[in-house]
Amino acid sequence: MKALHIKNINKHFREPVDFHVLKDISFDIDQGEFVSIIGKSGSGKSTLLYLLSTLDTDYEGSINLVGQDVSKMSQNQLAQFRNEHIGFVFQFHFLIQDLSVLDNITLPAQKLGKKPKDEIEHEAMELIKLLDIEGQESKKASRISGGQQQRVAIARALINSPSIIMGDEPTGNLDTRNTEIVFDVFRQLAVERGQTIIAVTHDDEFAANCDRIIELSDGYLV
Amino acid sequence: MNTNQRLGRTFLTSRVRQFFVAVLSVTFGISMYICMNSFMSGVNDEQTKMAFTAIPHINIYNEVQSEPNYHSKETNRGSTIRMVSNERNINYTEGIRNVDEIKEKLENIDHINGYTAQLNQNVFIRNGVSKTSANLSGIEPTSEDQMFNTAQYLIEGRLQDLNKGSNSIILGTGLAQKIGASTGDNITVTTSDGIDKSFKIMGLIETGSGADKSRALISIQTARQLFSKNRSYATELMVNLNDFDEAVNVAAQISQYTDYKVESWQESNGQLDSANGLRRIIAIAVSLTILIVAGFGIYNIMNMTVNEKIKEIAILKAIGFNGNDVIEIFLIQSVIIGFVGGLTGLALGHIMISIIDRVPFEVGPMDSLPVSISPIDYVSAFLFGIIITFLAGYLPARSASKVDPVAILRG
Repeated sequence: MKALHIKNINKHFREPVDFHVLKDISFDIDQGEFVSIIGKSGSGKSTLLYLLSTLDTDYEGSINLVGQDVSKMSQNQLAQFRNEHIGFVFQFHFLIQDLSVLDNITLPAQKLGKKPKDEIEHEAMELIKLLDIEGQESKKASRISGGQQQRVAIARALINSPSIIMGDEPTGNLDTRNTEIVFDVFRQLAVERGQTIIAVTHDDEFAANCDRIIELSDGYLV
Repeated sequence: MNTNQRLGRTFLTSRVRQFFVAVLSVTFGISMYICMNSFMSGVNDEQTKMAFTAIPHINIYNEVQSEPNYHSKETNRGSTIRMVSNERNINYTEGIRNVDEIKEKLENIDHINGYTAQLNQNVFIRNGVSKTSANLSGIEPTSEDQMFNTAQYLIEGRLQDLNKGSNSIILGTGLAQKIGASTGDNITVTTSDGIDKSFKIMGLIETGSGADKSRALISIQTARQLFSKNRSYATELMVNLNDFDEAVNVAAQISQYTDYKVESWQESNGQLDSANGLRRIIAIAVSLTILIVAGFGIYNIMNMTVNEKIKEIAILKAIGFNGNDVIEIFLIQSVIIGFVGGLTGLALGHIMISIIDRVPFEVGPMDSLPVSISPIDYVSAFLFGIIITFLAGYLPARSASKVDPVAILRG
């Protein structure tokens, strides 16, 4: 099964002047594939990722994720879809600072509301173990280090076992050791759980170790 | 409590000082609402109580038509030319001829607390050479006292003395002074028909109003004799109710039984009613203004909160919260502010009004500031508080729901 199928994607920025960012992009990604999107600054790679993530809906063409055509969904349907099928990791970890680590991780599952609270917390504790951030779960998100915050963000992305995990420079702010940890986790998820991983990155080494590299240049697929 | 509400509460309690200020503004608004309204109701009640020492809730009398209506208004029909000049009223009946008949009917009507008949006429009173006009009231001393507490205003003599003999009279203090008479003296009353009768002053009455200068009381039987009327005659029948706000309804009921004019106090003393209404409007306008100002404060604070939490909003949207969830998260915060502020406002308002109730204010019959505490004021204060905080919170919450996550997350 295809995890992702996009066809003839065109995207314009209209402010301040009309700018054609993405030009006729089409590709497929299989389930369980670990893909990185690379390209120079301004090549449109982040823009592409936000289109794939369904957050940005201002485009032409069609996007099909896990067999569903998301280009025709309403905003509320998209929110529900993201909650269930997509996990996010951002360059700046973007945790909810007022909540504890555990609450941050379980938030998408609480929103989804398909499992009881103790089961969600049990799963969260397993992710915490997997990502080696044990002992931090009751601290406030603002009280832990940057590397730990990034791993908390990854745990949050994984809590609903989404089919696709997307990262915007997921290791952009991390040192070599933390980058390795994150990369290994992604690799493990792709291989063991069959989750699809799409990461935008500047890091050539990170990209080189992926299953596939999608390169963008001036809005064209290379 | 669902996830959205829990998030809202977390956002709110993470900034204690702003929460405190917002709650305080609602507290202040609601307590002022309660104070203003309770105080104004107190003033209204006191005013009304004072007014009803002199006027009845419902007055029944024979109304003299302001326009003569004893002939057909149709004129110039056919070849007939009708000319009428100098029209005037011809009153076939003056006053109420059979007041006992109406009294019997009043027994069948609910809400009536008491009634008394009066026979009022203008007369001249002479004491030697001093002479002055006066309003002579023939009263039924027992029922008059029940309705208006007349006896408590007597500074000399007793009201029941009027029933002793047919020449007893009680004068207003001002009136007695004008003609230089005092208790025990004899005076002469002259009616408009030119009949003279001698009375003995049995007592003096002082209510503190201008009526003291012209008021003279005799028993209604004596008055009927004096004006040569039948033994059930009266000029007015006054009715008091258990609840004076019912006057208009009861007056309508009574008028089904009689052709005489039945007038409620709202009709006869419009100024009293309108002054009460105006004071209410002022109280509500001032207290609502305070609440609305509090609402703007909350609007401001919630707008700041939304701006501060804009990253969090973007994140929540990215992980699957939709626009309505975001509205709920931020609306719940202002609802909590409204609820907490409402409850503390009720408590503070109650304390403040209890203090006002004890402030000494010794004017007229009052000894402290008048206050009337009614549950409706508390309920409406709380409701207005909740409604205004809800509206003040809704606008920022809606703008939060429209945040574009892509713009924030891309940095």
